[in-house]
Amino acid sequence: MRNEQIQTILQLTIAITIGAVVGAIAMIVSGAPVITTYIQMWNGAFGNFYLFSSTLANATPILLIALGVGIAFRAGVFNLGGEGQMVLAAVTASLVAIYLPGPGFVKVLAAITTGFLVGGGLSMLAGWMESRFQIQLIISTLLLNYIVVLFASYLVSFPFQDRTGSAALSQTAMLDPAARLPKLFTGMTVHWGFVIALLLAVVLYVMLKHTSFGYDIMMSGKNASFAFYGGVSKTKMMLHSMLISGGLAGLAGVFEVLGSQYRFVDGSLTDPGYAWSGIMAALLAKSHPLAIVFASLFLGALHTGSLGLERNTDVPLEIANVIKATLILFITAKFSITWWQRRKKAGVSTSGTV
Amino acid sequence: MSERILMKNVTKKYGDFYANNEITFSLQDAEIHAIIGENGAGKTTLMRILYGLEEQTSGSLYVNGKPVRFSSPTEAIKRGIGMVHQHFMLFPHLTVAENIVIGHEPSSAGLFNRKKAVSQVKELAASYKMTIDPTKKVKHCSVGEQQRIEILKVLYQGAETIILDEPTAVLTPHEVKGLMDTLKLLATSGKSIIIITHKLKEVMACANRITVLRNGEVTGSRHVDETSEDELATLMVGRDLKEVPPRAAQNGATHLEVKNVVVGEKGEKPTLHHVSLQVKQGEIVGIAGVSGNGQSELIQAITGLIPIESGDVTMDGESVNELTVYERRQKGISHIPEDRYQWGIAKSASVAENALMGYQYIDAYQSVRGVINRRRFRPLVTKWIEQFAIKTNSLQQQIDQLSGGNIQKLVVARELGHESSFLIAAEPTRGVDIGAMERIHEALIERRNEGASILLVSSELSEIRTLSDRIVVMFEGKIVGELSRDEATEEKISILMAGGTVHA
Repeated sequence: MRNEQIQTILQLTIAITIGAVVGAIAMIVSGAPVITTYIQMWNGAFGNFYLFSSTLANATPILLIALGVGIAFRAGVFNLGGEGQMVLAAVTASLVAIYLPGPGFVKVLAAITTGFLVGGGLSMLAGWMESRFQIQLIISTLLLNYIVVLFASYLVSFPFQDRTGSAALSQTAMLDPAARLPKLFTGMTVHWGFVIALLLAVVLYVMLKHTSFGYDIMMSGKNASFAFYGGVSKTKMMLHSMLISGGLAGLAGVFEVLGSQYRFVDGSLTDPGYAWSGIMAALLAKSHPLAIVFASLFLGALHTGSLGLERNTDVPLEIANVIKATLILFITAKFSITWWQRRKKAGVSTSGTV
Repeated sequence: MSERILMKNVTKKYGDFYANNEITFSLQDAEIHAIIGENGAGKTTLMRILYGLEEQTSGSLYVNGKPVRFSSPTEAIKRGIGMVHQHFMLFPHLTVAENIVIGHEPSSAGLFNRKKAVSQVKELAASYKMTIDPTKKVKHCSVGEQQRIEILKVLYQGAETIILDEPTAVLTPHEVKGLMDTLKLLATSGKSIIIITHKLKEVMACANRITVLRNGEVTGSRHVDETSEDELATLMVGRDLKEVPPRAAQNGATHLEVKNVVVGEKGEKPTLHHVSLQVKQGEIVGIAGVSGNGQSELIQAITGLIPIESGDVTMDGESVNELTVYERRQKGISHIPEDRYQWGIAKSASVAENALMGYQYIDAYQSVRGVINRRRFRPLVTKWIEQFAIKTNSLQQQIDQLSGGNIQKLVVARELGHESSFLIAAEPTRGVDIGAMERIHEALIERRNEGASILLVSSELSEIRTLSDRIVVMFEGKIVGELSRDEATEEKISILMAGGTVHA
């Protein structure tokens, strides 16, 4: 156990260091001063309370998606459909919040519930297709993204488009102020969605560690045959973990609508690449719910930091993407203590005996 | 004869634990040297050091008198040392010849010369009188053939010294004999052989010298003609062997019944062909058979892991056909699986987590419904660890750091712990040492005497004969014979196992 933890931390450190070095090379190539640029990035993410709150706001959807991806990984299934689940949930939730009659808190609760169920339902659809027709999840979840994102785009470009303004943008009408998630601090971007996401991370952690359902998920992921032998139903476990996974991705979309944008704007969830950052965060954290919190904050900071960079310097925004891509490359490459040791030993003994 | 390999005062420490402590071991030219000992005695560790998979903490290695230090198997292979692992490492979709020449492929004009590979393999096999078809796909080869492929692979790489780790564990009695002949032939042609095992009969039959390990230390080294099975067993276990406990007479009603069960893919030859059998309360029914003759499918059909095409499985007269695996477990089926790594454990989980399987929904181990109370479960696992002398550092240790025998003991303890009315014990003592085997046999008889029904599947005839009240023989998916405890001789069972008939 302990050895494994040391290994994970070592691996992370190596990946982040190499990521930073490659980022530095990219900066040198584009003619930017390395140290200053990194300082600017840091300031962009944590420079003052407003920027810090933006980092938290940015990390919120990443965190929720990562938790969903993580739970699926733990159960041994793939959910690469976070983007579609998030978008479909966001558009339905915004429609519910706009058109459902009733007081604000009812709208909010109904929107959240619908969003979770829509996201979860979409991912369960993929799960059902696998159990019924052997369509692999990794493919179906990925491809459903395209269908769903374009469908959402159609919804807000035609039937539900907001036609009140002068410019006809692809977006829904604004949410009633009562049907919004409140901000944590007035004038700041971070909203209650972040707190809920944090709570959910803790809930998932406790669930995996202490409940029999969590145990079944973990064992299904570690050895599906063993779980099946022990009485765990394969299909049930897959569908349940897909429901939670997609539901969490759905919440990411819902909270963006209710807490940040106050309407569904076509492209506003897909352009920042939240879904992919979420997958990255889950990989970085090896699907550990609490570690995912930190990984998501890190990726959120990288994003706001690079925005700051673009505001204050000539360094292109893409630097952050270079760092992210390098990170992911070296995270997935299995660096391990044993690998280092073996290398070291091989070096010593070849000079010693052969 | 000169000394081919010398391991001098070799020590291997894992933390504070001595896996090998000051072991000295030598191997002569053209010698078969057996290393025996219980699980966790340090046999495998010692051989892993010799093969370059582990490095010793202290001590030295000599090959042909020259000091060496291996940090990888490649270096060991260069010095003429080859190893045949317990779990074969073959590519099922490639042919026999392709598997053998892998890494050292004969080529012409820079391309792989398949014809030459086939002829080379043919020649090599013939020179050691091993029958094998080089063009056959490995997935169509029997376990015995696969082992021959592994041996040929090692020989092809030019090994002069061959290490075999538990080579007979997976073989039928007939195949074991073939292997012994091959090993003797290899030795007469100058190869040196190290064989790791805990089967004394085989050791006495083929080895020149025997070294016994216990708790990481050498407890004795003997020439074969100056020792006996009894002495070796005492050296291994550190005490005399126990007798199997007495079997109380039982006259129970039929508890589990399999009626006319057919299993198989549509359109293909069924793997189970109208199989019927009954197990009474307080009875152990042993299923003998060469592995792959439908035993696995029978177990899986009873436990609900595979669907059956027709027929019925009943417990106390009630059909369990429509029930899920979980519901069948609730009804009182527990199951020691034949392949512990595939079905019995999750390698990357801890000892405690692996022990919990099947208990996670039991109220007694939950705080509130759905929340596992590990504190309540822990004493049970601790009891199992004591009862079966399972060697583990802690409950949190990752299970694949335990030796195979200790893992098996945990799986057995877990399934016995359910105290279920029906137990399937498939290869319950595979890979465990004598001490553990005694304990497992004792526990099974105890369960029987308490009135449980047990279906025993084993490829060890001696185990079947020791434990069973009734013996059923399977061949090609059918039950081909049934013998009572008294009429079952090794010959009769062997004949039935090979598809012959016996007139009682």
